[in-house]
Amino acid sequence: MKHKNFPPELKLGGVIVLLMVALTLISPRFLTVSNLTNVVWSVCIIGILSSGAIYPRITGGIDLSLGSMVALTGIIADLFMNHMNLNWLVAIVLTVVIGGLIGLFNGFIVAKIKVPAFVVTMAAKTYLYGVALVVSSGAMLAVLKPAPFVQIGIGRFLGLPNPIYIMVVLVLASQFLLKRTSFGRQVMAVGSNETAAKLSGVDPDRVRLISYAISGMTSAVGGVVLASLTQQIFAAAASGIELDVMTALVIGGTSAVGGNGSVIGGLLGAVMVAFIINGLNLLNVPAQFHPIVTGVVIILALLLNESNVKFNKIGIFRINRKSVGGNRG
Amino acid sequence: MNVLLECTNITKSYNGPIVLDNVDFSVRSGEVHSLVGENGAGKSTLIKIVTGVTGCNSGRIVFNGKQVPDNLDRKTAQALGIACIYQELSLIPGMTVAQNIFLGKEPLIKGLHIIDKKKMTAMAQALIDKYGFPLKPGDFIDQISIAQRQLVEILKALSDKAHMIIMDEPTSSLTKTEVELLFKIIHMLKAEGISVLYISHRMEEVYALSDRVTVLRDGKLVDVVDKERISPAEIIRLMIGHKLEEKALHHELGKIEGKVVLSVRNLTSVGKFVNVGFDLHEGEVLGIGGLVGSGRTELVRALYGIDPIDEGSVTYLGKPFVPSVSASIKNGIGFIPEERRLQGILSTQSILRNIGITNLDRLAPRFVVNGKAEREFAERGIKLVNVKPANSEHLVGNLSGGNQQKVVLAKWLVRDLKLVFIDEPTVGIDIGAKEEIYDHIRKLSAQGVSIILVSSDLPELVRLSERVLVLRKGRIIKEFTECVITGEKILRAASGILESETVEE
Repeated sequence: MKHKNFPPELKLGGVIVLLMVALTLISPRFLTVSNLTNVVWSVCIIGILSSGAIYPRITGGIDLSLGSMVALTGIIADLFMNHMNLNWLVAIVLTVVIGGLIGLFNGFIVAKIKVPAFVVTMAAKTYLYGVALVVSSGAMLAVLKPAPFVQIGIGRFLGLPNPIYIMVVLVLASQFLLKRTSFGRQVMAVGSNETAAKLSGVDPDRVRLISYAISGMTSAVGGVVLASLTQQIFAAAASGIELDVMTALVIGGTSAVGGNGSVIGGLLGAVMVAFIINGLNLLNVPAQFHPIVTGVVIILALLLNESNVKFNKIGIFRINRKSVGGNRG
Repeated sequence: MNVLLECTNITKSYNGPIVLDNVDFSVRSGEVHSLVGENGAGKSTLIKIVTGVTGCNSGRIVFNGKQVPDNLDRKTAQALGIACIYQELSLIPGMTVAQNIFLGKEPLIKGLHIIDKKKMTAMAQALIDKYGFPLKPGDFIDQISIAQRQLVEILKALSDKAHMIIMDEPTSSLTKTEVELLFKIIHMLKAEGISVLYISHRMEEVYALSDRVTVLRDGKLVDVVDKERISPAEIIRLMIGHKLEEKALHHELGKIEGKVVLSVRNLTSVGKFVNVGFDLHEGEVLGIGGLVGSGRTELVRALYGIDPIDEGSVTYLGKPFVPSVSASIKNGIGFIPEERRLQGILSTQSILRNIGITNLDRLAPRFVVNGKAEREFAERGIKLVNVKPANSEHLVGNLSGGNQQKVVLAKWLVRDLKLVFIDEPTVGIDIGAKEEIYDHIRKLSAQGVSIILVSSDLPELVRLSERVLVLRKGRIIKEFTECVITGEKILRAASGILESETVEE
């Protein structure tokens, strides 16, 4: 069996460079600092969310509650600051803790009650949206103060928007957690073969609980950044963003059945999609055509990572959520 | 009685090794015919050929007086009247008994492509009544017992007008009363003139049911035994044979000395094993024999801490020990599971990661993985068991079976083990890799590591073990110590035949 062990990040990086060259040749407006900044800025929320959402994904599950989580946590942050008059930093910390707890609850149902993650987080998406509607009274909340909070989203440092720094820090931290720590090893082991992981001393339930909690916390960071960036927040503010995150992860080489993935790959996936949309805009292609292009790109990306797809066939045997069982003798 | 199935000169090889060598095999109408042989004797291959799952290289099959086409497939075999009840049942869990019986051949309302539900239920009820099965047409498959599911399979076969029903280890997950019911049903089928081809490791069942027994060994036909000659001891003798190599397989059991590492008393796990007790000494290889379903795997799983224990005590290194996976790993106990693809390896991960995952306590004591140490562990493991290719970045899923098993060994060998449970270490592995794995087991034992080895491969058990416990129906039925053990002796004990029954020795 021939197997090329090219990291997906490198392949994606190559594609992005080719794309940039092509777009530079096509449009003189492409290779400008403001255009590039805009592109990266547009993927900030997706990058922040994917740095956490990748964990449930690699364990073989999924977190589809991201959109509702972002909106709810954004609303909660606003309520803390502008209705309860909490200090903005305290409010952010509390919001992230709440995000983590909601994620932990999702993880609890997935890990302990063994309900498929797809169902659990889809339900969460719905009821969290409901909670967001209730706590915001169904209104769009304006987040115009406090000033330091607003600066998180709209401020700049060394010429670049602050959210880019937040995203880069989270992505790098998450990549480190995934690739360089015992927890990251355990996440990948659980996604690759839960039974083998368990027999090797990994506690799959604990790994799942933490994975969903991380996803909840990064969603809360996403909520905070979104609220301060747009200076408004409402229940449907990030509706459907989970699909953009999953797209980025798939393009970035995160296995469709779990067991492997890369946070940086996910970010590059998001950037690639953004560049393509940007190119379509520069070429004056009407917006209604964009989703068609994005869909085709997802398929092409899977073909590009063909070695991974082949492996997923073996993966079919491994999706065995029954604990360590099913044998005689 | 006329002959229903007549196979002549069947030869089959899977790219190289010959699995069936010029085998003749016949089943008469209305008889219960057992097919026996050790693992790898060629039973399953023969069944696969007869049911059209796989083809044979040469040979002729006649069924019901008609020559069976060379390119027999499963559908044709079913149409001919050959039905097979597989170990893993092939029913659809979310559908009812009636829906499963008539799957693909549902009665339709005349002129319409709509299923006549009433008629289907009535037809299913008629079948159930005819045989007096404890079933209802409207029961859902996932809500009835394994035994009942087998009955549904049988009804499915009967509704196809099967002339011959093949049962492959049908009793392995049945209770005693369920087995009795199955036997009653087999007699009913027989009375109707339907032939039953019965495959079982359990000698007493073969003995109780069979009109004739065909014995296979190493892909060759050994003998066809008639009813009057059938005795469990005789069949075992035929199955094992007195091959020349048997001499080499005789094994002087060494005297067990050294301190006790693991001491088990009155260990019980309801429904799995009862009142098991033994001592394991330093550096000893303790073999555990027994048939599939005798509780061997369950015992080592419980001792390693995967499954709970209901009663009894475990003492490890002189201290009371409550098994749990984490406590076991922490205390130098390893576990090499059966079915390495399902339980042993992380196939999408590199050799490096596979070896690393059991050693995170050493590689990442403070959360961050020490990359250098991880590579050192992997390189050491690869060298230790001679994994090919010796590239730690290689994905384990792409390795051969033997090399995958070596990786599973390696991830434990790089630790300082005191005790290791090894379950069926060489299933599906080529001879060369097998010998290497045996060497590692011996080497471990020489280093003072105690080993509990579970194996269905009798020569393997005999060659490696210094002492053998034989389990039968969850109890230790026999302990072989300080004497000569042979595969035949183990199989006899596992089948419940006492030594005194046999004449020789």
